[in-house]
Amino acid sequence: MSMLKLAYRNIKGAGLRTWLNVAVLSLTYVLIIYHQGIFIGMLKQGSRAMIEDEIAGGQYWHKNYDPYDPLSYDESHGLIPEELDRLIKDKKATPVLVRQAAIYPEGRVQTVLLKGIDPGQSILSIPTGRLSAQEDILPVLIGKRMAKNASLNIGDYLTIRWRDVRGTFDAVEGKIAEIMDTKVPGIDKGNLWVPLKELEKMTGLNNEATIVVVASDVSGQKDLPDWKFKEQKFLLSDINQVVESKRAISSIMYAILLFLAMIAIFDTQVLSIFRRRKEIGTLIALGMTHLQVVALFTLEGAMHGILALGIAAIYGVPLIVSFARNGMRIPQATESYGFALQDRLFPSYSLGLVLGTIFLVMVTVTVVSFLPARRISKLKPTDALKGKFA
Amino acid sequence: MPLVNIEKVVKRYPMGGKEFTALYDINLQFEKGEFTGVIGPSGSGKTTLLNIIGSLDVPTEGSATVLGKKIERLSHTEAALLRRGHMGFIFQTYNLLPVYTAFENVEFPLLIMKMPEKERRKKVMDALEWLGLLDRANSRPAQLSGGEAQRVAIARAIVKQPELVLADEPTANLDAENSYNIIERMVKLNRELKTTFIFATHDEKVIGYLRRKICLVDGRVKKDELIS
Repeated sequence: MSMLKLAYRNIKGAGLRTWLNVAVLSLTYVLIIYHQGIFIGMLKQGSRAMIEDEIAGGQYWHKNYDPYDPLSYDESHGLIPEELDRLIKDKKATPVLVRQAAIYPEGRVQTVLLKGIDPGQSILSIPTGRLSAQEDILPVLIGKRMAKNASLNIGDYLTIRWRDVRGTFDAVEGKIAEIMDTKVPGIDKGNLWVPLKELEKMTGLNNEATIVVVASDVSGQKDLPDWKFKEQKFLLSDINQVVESKRAISSIMYAILLFLAMIAIFDTQVLSIFRRRKEIGTLIALGMTHLQVVALFTLEGAMHGILALGIAAIYGVPLIVSFARNGMRIPQATESYGFALQDRLFPSYSLGLVLGTIFLVMVTVTVVSFLPARRISKLKPTDALKGKFA
Repeated sequence: MPLVNIEKVVKRYPMGGKEFTALYDINLQFEKGEFTGVIGPSGSGKTTLLNIIGSLDVPTEGSATVLGKKIERLSHTEAALLRRGHMGFIFQTYNLLPVYTAFENVEFPLLIMKMPEKERRKKVMDALEWLGLLDRANSRPAQLSGGEAQRVAIARAIVKQPELVLADEPTANLDAENSYNIIERMVKLNRELKTTFIFATHDEKVIGYLRRKICLVDGRVKKDELIS
């Protein structure tokens, strides 16, 4: 208790220098938590949107399917196995047939992915119900990004050309039935959603699929012959990597801030030890061990971190709570990030994040405070009492 | 058995690539309850001798036994424990902790001894009363006069009732009135508590009160006399 009191009084006595250190450190606390919260929120929102609109509880992929290799699409289809067929009939899974095609918006050719899906499915939260319109013309569902890129609106007609199972080119006219407001670029850009039965007829691939999306409440999925099960974790790994890389870049900023605070504390400690040599000698003469004096000076340095935490709480908590409640508007440009983002981003601040940040800063501050203080252990008390640093 | 036994102590310091000898072959004994002054001009080795007795330094040769402990064999921690439990120090420049009040400065040695609060408080108040400082208990060192600050330093040295108090030029920074005041209080403490006082001084005012006078010149004992 006495050491805490002495340490507190000493750093209070250092006046402006202490408060400057505390200010920079408190800013470090708030910025780290604020930024990490943004990235965690980004990841959570993005993952949630992907789970709702694209991946649900996981996907079975045909063995030839590779989303990063367009040349694989022609061969990546197969008959739906019996096990999956049962799940589909129980409304626990929905098949998606993926084929390559071309459209001609405003006279330009554009390659697209033609995706057949059951209009009555309820596994994915995309408005496939609009594909069940009883018209002679092929109903087409697209996302808002696709609509913007191809200048398409609801009710517009477009020519779709594809190759059937024998490799022969065929074409059909489709009508935009709905433009969905999805946050997931993977089901939006370059994607044309059509009724599965229509696509099966167009391609002659009856009861075949490329992907089978499984509902979130189905568990214990295993690989099947010709079909590989991809878990949510695997399907979300891209977004995880993107967020992690953005988080790493932003970490540089608060690493610099933390570094500046550490330099300030290190300097303060060096100066304090130099100026208070006589006091160190007195403490040793009064019966404190060298180790206790080192601990006292380390505690003084570490106390900057504790004071900074208090200051950070005063202005940081209202700021962070307000952001977490009201979210922040995301500029349109962030659509180019390549992953799902809402118009409004809600940062996510967990107890683990706050405690982890406090731990990181406190450990760093303590180490930086200890480094100059350990010189005291080599200090001769007689030199210290004379104000010398041997 | 003497409280302090100095045998053939030599102390050398490295200085500019050579060695400077501060003490030559010192042999001294100090008994409990002494009121002794080590006197001599600046550079005669007074402070060095006090530092060795106070376990703040170790002899280069010879042996210093204080309260049964051989100083040259003590580790840093053992020396700290010896000082903490049995010694009080008074310095020329008071060396009070600037951020503590007079009360807290006096309380500090008891805090590091981990004395219970109630007992601690009583001892501090007694020490402050002895030194006539009760009305200055809540003042910081910067608010005290030189005489008051040195009285706080004395209170801090005697509050744990140590066997040995080492005072290095305690009156050097004080005017005559404060010097006499301080010395008389130390004489009183020595008589009533049987605390052993060893001074390093060249202040005539202090010398007049000594019961034993050890003259050091150039690191050698020139005279060691009892004063009746």
